[in-house]
Amino acid sequence: MNVNVGDAIPDWEVKDVSAEKMKIFSALIRDPNPIHIDAAAAQALGLGQREINQGPISMGYLINMLGDWTGDVNCVRRLKIRFMANVEAGDDVVASGTIMGINDGQDELLADCEVWLDVRGGVRAMSGTATVAIPR
Amino acid sequence: MVIGEQEMQKLVGTAFPGGEYTVEPWEHKLMCDVMLTPEPPGGLAHPIYAYQATRAGMGLSIDEFFALVHADPDDGGMFGEHQSELHTPIKVGETYVVSGRITGTRRKEGRKAGLFDMVDFELELRGAEGDLVAVSWNSWVFPRKN
Repeated sequence: MNVNVGDAIPDWEVKDVSAEKMKIFSALIRDPNPIHIDAAAAQALGLGQREINQGPISMGYLINMLGDWTGDVNCVRRLKIRFMANVEAGDDVVASGTIMGINDGQDELLADCEVWLDVRGGVRAMSGTATVAIPR
Repeated sequence: MVIGEQEMQKLVGTAFPGGEYTVEPWEHKLMCDVMLTPEPPGGLAHPIYAYQATRAGMGLSIDEFFALVHADPDDGGMFGEHQSELHTPIKVGETYVVSGRITGTRRKEGRKAGLFDMVDFELELRGAEGDLVAVSWNSWVFPRKN
């Protein structure tokens, strides 16, 4: 796989973030926070107009982007993310990234990347860095 | 009444009960469905499990964690920051041992968010032989309503 500093990682998009997926996630992790399952709760707290996507789901979108790029979602060695704004049900979001550095380690070729998740027509929801293994 | 900042700082160093966590195949399938991605091949788990396995295995439910940090789920606590390191892939069907502790608390006030506490905690995921599989560092934000 040919990679260079400055290369863009292909975008990974989600159209119409699903409130139903949030409910499944809340049930899976037994999360009682109402902002993920009740739009009225998110409105009452001034967090948004619709259900708020759980942070780990949005983080999963960034990991999926890295996996689609390298061909193996288990390429991720390190991930550091800051949550900056909420993703709401019905939003369209796009995960993006750029290669910032390449290290040819003893065991594997590693790429240090900047990654971020934007709400289409809106705000940056999360940003951070990732170190991923690149197939030689 | 809002919990005092000094009371929050007393939480630093508090160890979680910890415990075991098994990556159940049915749960992993649903998690991947929620994240809109196929399950990774070869019986490997999605890397989101560096977070999911450590949080779920920390020995406290989310409700109990909120109670520990004197927060009410109805006040809308949420994720602030996350960092993870994966040393080896996590496997579906495997049972892991989780341990961790609160590493910091920070009180802040935002123009829009109002008064809130950030609680930092770290969690380790180890295999049955004690080998380090993953580490996660998390900061959760807890709004403090008067």
